[in-house]
Amino acid sequence: MLTLIVGALMQGSVYGLVGMGYGLIYKASGLMTLAQGDMIMIGAFLGMTFYKYMGLPFGLSLALVMIIMFTLGFLIERILVTSLLAKGAAQVYVILCTIAISMILQNGAMFAWGSNVMQFQAILDLSISIIANNDQADRLQEQAVGIFFMLLLHFFMQHTKFGTSMRAAAQDETAAEALGINVPLTKGTAWGLASMLAGVAGVILGPSYGVYTAMGALIGQKAFAASVAGGYGNMYGAIVGGIFLGFVEAFSVYFVSSLYKDFIAFGILILVMIFMPNGLFNEQVME
Amino acid sequence: MSKILEVKDLHFHYGEIHALKGISLDVEDGEIVTLIGANGAGKTTTLRSLSGLLGRITSGEVRFMGQRIDQMKGHSIAAMGLAQCLEGRHVFGNLTVRENLDMGAYLRKDKDGLKADYEYVFDLFPRLLERESQRASTLSGGEQQMLAVGRALMQKPKILMMDEPSLGLAPLVIQEIFSTIKRINADGMPVLLIEQNSNAALKVANRGYVIENGEIVLKDTAANLLINEDVKKAYLGG
Repeated sequence: MLTLIVGALMQGSVYGLVGMGYGLIYKASGLMTLAQGDMIMIGAFLGMTFYKYMGLPFGLSLALVMIIMFTLGFLIERILVTSLLAKGAAQVYVILCTIAISMILQNGAMFAWGSNVMQFQAILDLSISIIANNDQADRLQEQAVGIFFMLLLHFFMQHTKFGTSMRAAAQDETAAEALGINVPLTKGTAWGLASMLAGVAGVILGPSYGVYTAMGALIGQKAFAASVAGGYGNMYGAIVGGIFLGFVEAFSVYFVSSLYKDFIAFGILILVMIFMPNGLFNEQVME
Repeated sequence: MSKILEVKDLHFHYGEIHALKGISLDVEDGEIVTLIGANGAGKTTTLRSLSGLLGRITSGEVRFMGQRIDQMKGHSIAAMGLAQCLEGRHVFGNLTVRENLDMGAYLRKDKDGLKADYEYVFDLFPRLLERESQRASTLSGGEQQMLAVGRALMQKPKILMMDEPSLGLAPLVIQEIFSTIKRINADGMPVLLIEQNSNAALKVANRGYVIENGEIVLKDTAANLLINEDVKKAYLGG
């Protein structure tokens, strides 16, 4: 039972981490990205490369992944999204553009790392002695990393001046600009953070999930579902939605069969949508 | 007296529409200047094109403290000390009152000056202090307008531009807002005030401009405009 709960929490916190990214982007720019899942995959490949093949310490590998992923997301917003919107492209074209990015990332990863499923060892070397099972200990550590980043993001958004300015700009761009807030910078940062969170999720997931070019597709969709179920645009809703989804999946596997877990999980999600159309947390987002 | 804001022959197009057709106006140190005119005459467009919120102007020259600002981005202009209260208040509803004020002070680094300015704002509007940790969306319209003014003052601006501060407020609250404008000005802040409530605006202002269809048709001291027959007929209700 403990294994079950730990597994559910871990899976759920990964969905939550990635889902928070969807929320950030939607809040900051009213858009959605379909490349978020592939950011997980790129993060996992990069983490594996730094940690396993280059032999860098885990902390440094993670930090490098975060920096690269942040830059990637930031540049996608600053260069692609902004120039499309400046030319008057409809939002649907921007979303289409993120599908293109998703394909390019997948093919690029295949080119760089090949198409095999690759493995790398669990990450932290700390041993937690209170739990005998090593696998559980690893998962707990991974989960702790996930929760740590959620708290960090919460602190950043709520208690730093820049984070507050991101929330302000998301709500009212004109007013923010009139106060001297650099709105393009806050938007780029939102996309950068979203892709950074996905990258962290990739590093956390890599060891237990295997690293391959299509690994992001299903997780990305589920994280999207989690963030919608939680209340789209609400970062905390995404966490709750993610953990909710993690539990539904874990219990479906335990009590029914792993064959039907996606069927059951998404079925329940549809029920949530029908009965709580604004998500578990009703969120007012920018108009 | 030195000129804080100087606008020469400002033209602006919304796509094909020629919205501003050569606006010239200036605000000197210590003044309250008002720009009055009917709905759609170009008041808000004038203000927003000065502050860089509408992107590139078509032609003309805007000088702030002697420096050209007409090619600059909105957030850089704000950083120079040109603050504005937007029409419709535009407070950040999901942020607390305190966070809204913090965002006013977003670009400031002077800790001591900040403390004094928070005290100044809370002294002007004691109700904001009472509601410091409430979300701005829970405030009444008048309180939101106070917050918008307080937030602009937290920028420690060199000039305050106000777009329709009395819009949609109850008469008593409007009085309060106008006496606040007078007090802020008496404390040394030049104000460019845009109003449909021409009567109240001309009563607090030193000078006024009348705008019609994107053009300045009249400029004079506020006292003269108040007794001008054309102005009376068109804007002061007879």
